[in-house]
Amino acid sequence: MRKMSKMLGLLAGSALLGLSGVAMAAEPGLTDTTIKIGLFGPMSGPAQAYGQDVMNAAKMYYAKVNADGGINGRKIEIVEEDDRCSPNDLVAAVKKLVEQDQVFILNGGSCSAPVVAAKDYVVRSEVPWVMLNASGDGALYPPQPNIFGAMSISQRAVGGSTVEFAVKQFGAKKIGYINHDDAYGAWNLEAAGPQAKEHGATFLSESVDPKITDVTAPVLKMKAANVDVLILTTYAAPAQLILKKAAELHFNKPIIVAVNAIANLKQMVDNVGTKDAFKNVYIQELLMAKPGSEKLAWVYDMYKKAYPELSAQPGHPQVYMPYGIPPAEVVVKALQAAGRDVTRAKFIDAVEHLNFNSVMAGPIAFTHTEHAAQKSSIYFKFDGDDLTEVPGVFASHWTYKAN
Amino acid sequence: MDWDIIWLFVQQGVASGLVSGAVYALLALAIVIVYRTTDVANFAQGEIYMAASYLAFFLIVVFAAPSFVAIPVTILIVCGVSAAFQRLVLTRVAAARGVSVNLVIATLGLSYLLKGMVRFSGFGDAPRSFPSVVPDGTVMIGDASLSYLDVVIFAASLVVMAVFFWVFTYTKLGRAMRAVGMNRRAAALVGISLSRVQMQVWAFSGGISAIAALLIAPKLLLTVEMGHIATLAFAAAIVGGFTSLPGAVVGGFIIGIAENMVGLFASSRAIIVTPFVVIMLVLTLKPQGLFGGAIRVRKV
Repeated sequence: MRKMSKMLGLLAGSALLGLSGVAMAAEPGLTDTTIKIGLFGPMSGPAQAYGQDVMNAAKMYYAKVNADGGINGRKIEIVEEDDRCSPNDLVAAVKKLVEQDQVFILNGGSCSAPVVAAKDYVVRSEVPWVMLNASGDGALYPPQPNIFGAMSISQRAVGGSTVEFAVKQFGAKKIGYINHDDAYGAWNLEAAGPQAKEHGATFLSESVDPKITDVTAPVLKMKAANVDVLILTTYAAPAQLILKKAAELHFNKPIIVAVNAIANLKQMVDNVGTKDAFKNVYIQELLMAKPGSEKLAWVYDMYKKAYPELSAQPGHPQVYMPYGIPPAEVVVKALQAAGRDVTRAKFIDAVEHLNFNSVMAGPIAFTHTEHAAQKSSIYFKFDGDDLTEVPGVFASHWTYKAN
Repeated sequence: MDWDIIWLFVQQGVASGLVSGAVYALLALAIVIVYRTTDVANFAQGEIYMAASYLAFFLIVVFAAPSFVAIPVTILIVCGVSAAFQRLVLTRVAAARGVSVNLVIATLGLSYLLKGMVRFSGFGDAPRSFPSVVPDGTVMIGDASLSYLDVVIFAASLVVMAVFFWVFTYTKLGRAMRAVGMNRRAAALVGISLSRVQMQVWAFSGGISAIAALLIAPKLLLTVEMGHIATLAFAAAIVGGFTSLPGAVVGGFIIGIAENMVGLFASSRAIIVTPFVVIMLVLTLKPQGLFGGAIRVRKV
């Protein structure tokens, strides 16, 4: 009998060992000493400015974590891929990272359309994905179990926040809104309209093609409607044409330019051509303070130290560089919270419980039903030369409601 | 909508539409002249226009050339490149049993080549502004507001069109071009060199595209994709009848004004489809285009 129970004990023990072996084998990218993270973004190509230094910021943060001893006894190992902000390249990069490199989690994506293209594959793969600075609304709403993003901001939150600023700062009762007639524009419009309605303001929107060359019609309609404030959520080129046209048509109400159009402020002023157009212009900023200011100095100092040669080059750090910090913080904090016996499921659960302040205007907060983290912005008055901060943080109120 | 606002929209829509329409008209002329004399629909027209803008931008901004040097140099280079393309590529494609579709594909190849070159230059990554020689400021025409630049674009376009029609009507070169457009074999029989005239037509077309680019570039922004404006020029050409030069001009103005009117009285969303709706209407009501002449059936 005792022999029998010993045998059963041995069997049970080996079964448990076997199970734990299976459990370990089911979590690729994890060893006793390393966690493999697949980092991807536009390292080359025309959209490089959106992500190259964002990736660099994430990398320098991971390097700091490794230098401080790693996470629960493991060091972070990065596998990098260039997605060129192209849907095809991004999907290929993600597949390679998941299937060939067998990463534990994915951390990447700086452009919305490409990340949406990879959504279905990543959902099927069940690999946790923490985006970089893509808005990524199409991949975040409806929420997917393993996809997290909008650490900079979602397009819905862009729309909601700009309306909040228009109402709170200018007491706007009639809000003019020019967006694009693509998915990107539809996302920000979806939150902007209801937020205006919530405040009892009249909301007039004009949606334009991203390649529009003659913006007379939308601007004149806004002027004729006598809106109190005009919000632009277009890309850079149409926004610049609209600012120029608004000056030509003597439109003198406040114009709020959303972050979508602000990759390079100097270029914006050059392209508009006249500083007269900036007499009453406000720009949206997603960081907690003016880029390069004292509050964010540690990020820029860290960048200079990590990339001395690159930071000496003109154009670096790129405007969006600090946006790489919150995604890396999310990954690190969730891994820490998941503990030494981390699994992908534990990691996902840990992300869904994160709520912390980072370098962005609002908190980085996830829940089980909200996988887009950041919804707030600050605003600056921009006269073509200088930025003057407007006090306050302005948040979007839009939340996803399942049908 | 108040009558005051309707009247404002009409005035501004027509004024702004005439400005953008003038540029469409110039590009439409460039398309039509090539088509009439070589039977090639030049799908690189937009990219020739785009490349001309970037070339002038390089000369003025990067090489600090004064405008009075950069502008003629740009026009000459674009004329030369267009002529060389016709001579070195299209004649060879045509000689190799080139059917029309092969020639069109050759122009598509040129469009990709030009876009690739601008992207490779590193200046195509972000929208860029072209320095304007016209001072800032606006003039009021009725209730419509136009910038000084708009007025210059419109006036300069009219001058270029007038010069173009003068050359085409009264000079030996223009008469040769017209003869080739009417009947190639007969033109050859009276001693006109087809290859030389066709090359000259391409040079002429390139020159007009370069002028259109130099006029509109300070108003718009330089991007690699700015050549899509040629779609509107094609629309203008089709509306005008595709082989009619006055038709191309009128078509350009119709498209420019229609875009603004639709945007103002219907929806900004509809601006982009307006040219195609106009094409459909014209082709339905007058299939040969507004100036294409009656369809003639030749009995043999």
